[in-house]
Amino acid sequence: MSLTDTAPQARRRDLRIPLAAILVVAALAAPFIGTRYVTHSLIIALIFMLPAHGLNLLVGYTGLLSLAQAAFFGIGAYTAGLLAVHYDTPFYVNLLAAGLVSGLLALPLGIPALRLRATSFVMCTLGFVIIGQAIAKNWISVTRGDMGLSGIPKPYFELGPLSFTVTGTTSFYYLALAVAALGTLAAWAIVRSPAGRNMVAIRENETLAESLGVPTWRYKLIVFMISAAFAGVGGSLYAHYLTVVSPLTFQMYYSTTMLIIVLGGGAGMISGTVFGSLLFVGLTEALRVAPEVRMIAYGFCLLVLVFWFKKGFAPLINRFWNAIGGSK
Amino acid sequence: MFSTLLEQVVNGIVTGSVYAIVAVGMTMIFGVLRAINFAHGEYYMLGTFGAWFATDYLGLSYEASIVVGVLSTVVVAYVVGQLVMRRMVGAPAESGVLATLGVALILQNTVIFVFGGGYKFFSGGYIEPVSILGFTLAEQRIIILVVCLLVFVGLELMVTYSRLGMAMRAVSQNVECCGVVGIDVPQVVLRTFVLGAALAALSGVLTAPVNVSVYGGMGELITFKTLPIIIMGGLGNVRGTFVAAMILGIAESLVATYIGLQYRDTVGFATLILMLMWRPHGLFSTQARF
Repeated sequence: MSLTDTAPQARRRDLRIPLAAILVVAALAAPFIGTRYVTHSLIIALIFMLPAHGLNLLVGYTGLLSLAQAAFFGIGAYTAGLLAVHYDTPFYVNLLAAGLVSGLLALPLGIPALRLRATSFVMCTLGFVIIGQAIAKNWISVTRGDMGLSGIPKPYFELGPLSFTVTGTTSFYYLALAVAALGTLAAWAIVRSPAGRNMVAIRENETLAESLGVPTWRYKLIVFMISAAFAGVGGSLYAHYLTVVSPLTFQMYYSTTMLIIVLGGGAGMISGTVFGSLLFVGLTEALRVAPEVRMIAYGFCLLVLVFWFKKGFAPLINRFWNAIGGSK
Repeated sequence: MFSTLLEQVVNGIVTGSVYAIVAVGMTMIFGVLRAINFAHGEYYMLGTFGAWFATDYLGLSYEASIVVGVLSTVVVAYVVGQLVMRRMVGAPAESGVLATLGVALILQNTVIFVFGGGYKFFSGGYIEPVSILGFTLAEQRIIILVVCLLVFVGLELMVTYSRLGMAMRAVSQNVECCGVVGIDVPQVVLRTFVLGAALAALSGVLTAPVNVSVYGGMGELITFKTLPIIIMGGLGNVRGTFVAAMILGIAESLVATYIGLQYRDTVGFATLILMLMWRPHGLFSTQARF
């Protein structure tokens, strides 16, 4: 091509802003488009999005593979449930308390755990889930054991003279959407900050990061606590949505679901986690059409994910996002 | 009082032997593959189901059912090994977790799909009690102890002297160098994996007469019991695994008797976390190997 050849190429238009607008409208209109069951599935996806964001900060950005997320999810659920049942506190108090308690408990648990490397760390974090379940089962005076906490009231708000209760599925959807959107923004703010870049530095090469003056130990501990706080907030939504919390909230299956969301969506990418929670919660719900082979099919999906989509769906999302960005 | 204690310790050693045979396979697989096999307990379950099928449907003797249980598991493990485990060489830790979890879900739920989710009664085995040195033990428990010792002596010899054993040690030290000197790494991984699965199945068949009930979800419990053992024993360490399994078996038995049965299944991970605070690299390693 010669330099004088200036024939104008057809410029493609940047479709990213219109697409984002369509997605926002779709998110807001979802309860009116789909059936009640679809709305329910979306709520579950939004609830799991929060612990998944926390896990993404840990696995995707700091490079620490943890299975403890279900433990902090359960702690958050029990905190919110106990507060709501015994003290009848408004929803936002329960939500903040759940986040705080989970985040603070992550400090004494994280100190011994983060001294461990790789596989030992994974097993130690899995241990938190198993032990959490045993405590929830056996500390009967507080948790009511296997019966679980039931009759958790629907979330209610008290803002000055105004007070209202979130009752229906549709209104709970908007509540979950708001919390999940705030959580996504928070996660995005963290990874875009200088701290986020330091986290990536730890993931890429911890020794190098340390030698460049990044306080790696403090970073890992704080990220562990933040990820626990995210899980706790998700747990409070879960408790209020299902109105029951049982020791089975502490199960490895939940931890792995969150891990599947993060890795499937694409670790180290906020939009990947958002996409992942919709996709994998959608997948589990969709597989309910064939309940007998549901878990078998889910297992095959995991293998497909691991061997054919090694980086999750992140590369696909990126390519799509760039393709609709128009020509520069 | 003292005799109860001693009896519980002996029971613990038997339980420990069961765990040891399962865990040693898991730790060897970790050694060559650097991946935690979350599906390992499912081979224990498969072995038990194979034996139950042989005695209950085919009317075979218990001895024959051992062969059926182990062989059917070997076939399944070979297929899984070819399709999944071989591809995991050099894959990151998180893909290993997801892939083996996927395998666990498939195996467990296929068995539930085919045979139903309910409890089955295992009728074979030698459950007559015998008296030795003042102890009363079921014959089957003695068989378990003896087999466990034989398995460990055999493995020790195999790992030290046989070609596969040497290749396994080489792969667990440096995968790349093995490729350079012409060791077929995926083949070693496959063989180690099938051997480990066969041991888990053997453990399952041996325990079935003692546990009596057989059900699809039983493998998961065993996986959760063996995970802390292999970490405590030091990953890839055969002797360490044996000691850790005995410690856990005895600890579980004592906790169940003196503290409460409901805490039994938590003992493993609680012990593990306490031990990791004290020795972060396992009981017998002075520095991190993996």
